[in-house]
Amino acid sequence: MSDEGYVDYFKILHLDEAAKPGEVRKNYKRMMKELVMEIASVQITEERRQHYLLEMAKLNAAFYVLRDNERREAYWEDRKTVIRLEEEWRKAAETNAPDNDARHRRFDARLRDFLSDYVEDLMLAAGRDAECVEASHWDAAHARHASRLLRQYRQSLNQKILERLPYYEVTTPAIDWRERAQTVASILSEGGG
Amino acid sequence: MRAKRSDGQPKQVDFDVTAQALAKAVYEGDVVNFRMLFSPFSPAREDSPERFDTPKYAYLLPDGEMVEQRQYQQCLFAVNDIETKAHTRKELEANRPAQLPSDLILLLADNAVRRGKYTSAAEAYEMLRIRARMQQEFFAQADAALDANEMPKAVRGYLIATGLAFDYAAFPEPLPAVPNFQTRALMLHAEYPDVPEKCVAMRESESLMQTALAYLLLDAAAAARLEDKPLETRLAFLVELVKRRDPQWAKFVERYRLACATWQEFSDQLERAKTESTLVEDIENLLAEDAYRIPAQLLGRAIESGEWWQYLKEMAYEHPPSVLFVARQVVGQEEILAPRYRPDSPIGKALGLLPDSPEGA
Repeated sequence: MSDEGYVDYFKILHLDEAAKPGEVRKNYKRMMKELVMEIASVQITEERRQHYLLEMAKLNAAFYVLRDNERREAYWEDRKTVIRLEEEWRKAAETNAPDNDARHRRFDARLRDFLSDYVEDLMLAAGRDAECVEASHWDAAHARHASRLLRQYRQSLNQKILERLPYYEVTTPAIDWRERAQTVASILSEGGG
Repeated sequence: MRAKRSDGQPKQVDFDVTAQALAKAVYEGDVVNFRMLFSPFSPAREDSPERFDTPKYAYLLPDGEMVEQRQYQQCLFAVNDIETKAHTRKELEANRPAQLPSDLILLLADNAVRRGKYTSAAEAYEMLRIRARMQQEFFAQADAALDANEMPKAVRGYLIATGLAFDYAAFPEPLPAVPNFQTRALMLHAEYPDVPEKCVAMRESESLMQTALAYLLLDAAAAARLEDKPLETRLAFLVELVKRRDPQWAKFVERYRLACATWQEFSDQLERAKTESTLVEDIENLLAEDAYRIPAQLLGRAIESGEWWQYLKEMAYEHPPSVLFVARQVVGQEEILAPRYRPDSPIGKALGLLPDSPEGA
């Protein structure tokens, strides 16, 4: 099963699950330095600003979570749990099991919590961490800009997950894209609207 | 458990009435009413105390005229399709969140687009997970229309495609993006134009064109799709876009020309006075009263103690394109909105704003 959409802080820092705190720090410092140098070498447009801000927030959050054993374990446990719940709900949906609805609700609530905690809240919290501030020069202005950006990032991850899930709110649609193209053509020819 | 009627009898729902209500929501492209009919408090549910025959739910049912419409009858036919009907009944009887019939939602979304209810359509397509691809389809066919020089079709395609946008950063949940010309107008005029480049209306044609398209399409990425088209093509597109965004544009043009004349008169008087006296500030203050009429002329009515930004927001609401051709200007002790255009600009001319251009877009 794909785990795409469940933010993976090990992957962000190019580490595996067994990485030691020392490796976490080393990779974070190297990657942040590279990022800061890249930012300094290019002309900043609005699009690039958003991209770099998000990259910085991701590195900060990865370091903030993984360098602390307790936080790291809690994060990895939460991630595994929500992936397991997805798997369980999927199976229940495929077999139309009687607890399908309950499983969906459980998974949905957990997914919301996971993304809210580890994408929005934690990324902003990492920006207040002294070590992160020192390495990334993150300040209040970054945080202000990042809050909307992080919400958008959270939703993009949510979308990625949603797209591979069984339809729940509506019955599975039978979309014929040739018919869709004809409908679009007829709407455009009608005028009005 | 069935709800009881006031006479103590268990409530019974006639599915034909439910079907009419669903068909009406589909016909009107109304995703809110459609979802409401499946909600726990829906009058279509037997376990809900709400009832179709009360006046407060009359709006859910079609009137005599609608019932005669062919498109409505097609919607009713779709609702009464054997499989859809069986599914709908089952979902209305189940004690859990209903799973909505996607064939009806697709029909509803298409009808919503036809009626210009883009947020409703966006929400319905999003539920079916085809919103982004539908947007691409509209863009693709609009681009083809643009290449074939079919401007009304191209503009309609772009307006629909951008109208189907979703705001994934909305709080607390993603929502269809909505036109926000009032905010965007303020952003366009956020900085006082102390040099001409800062004034939107005084920019070179290319730059003004890009700003105008991004502002009127409410989407910079959509405007960027047009970047490689020749200026004449974009100009024709812009003229059509202005017409679609502001059907009352000709009325604004009339007022704009009047405001231009007032501004010209004020400027001429000030110039004359400057050559005759050194007390320029005093003279400007004396003459300023004339200039203070300009924002009201542009808007078509005065706002009591109206600041420039209040006029700007009102203008952005009533005539979205109008804010592209004004600028903030300090006159005497006040900051006002004044008309601005480049006499050599093909854009102002094509939109009928210049004194020697044909009236209206």
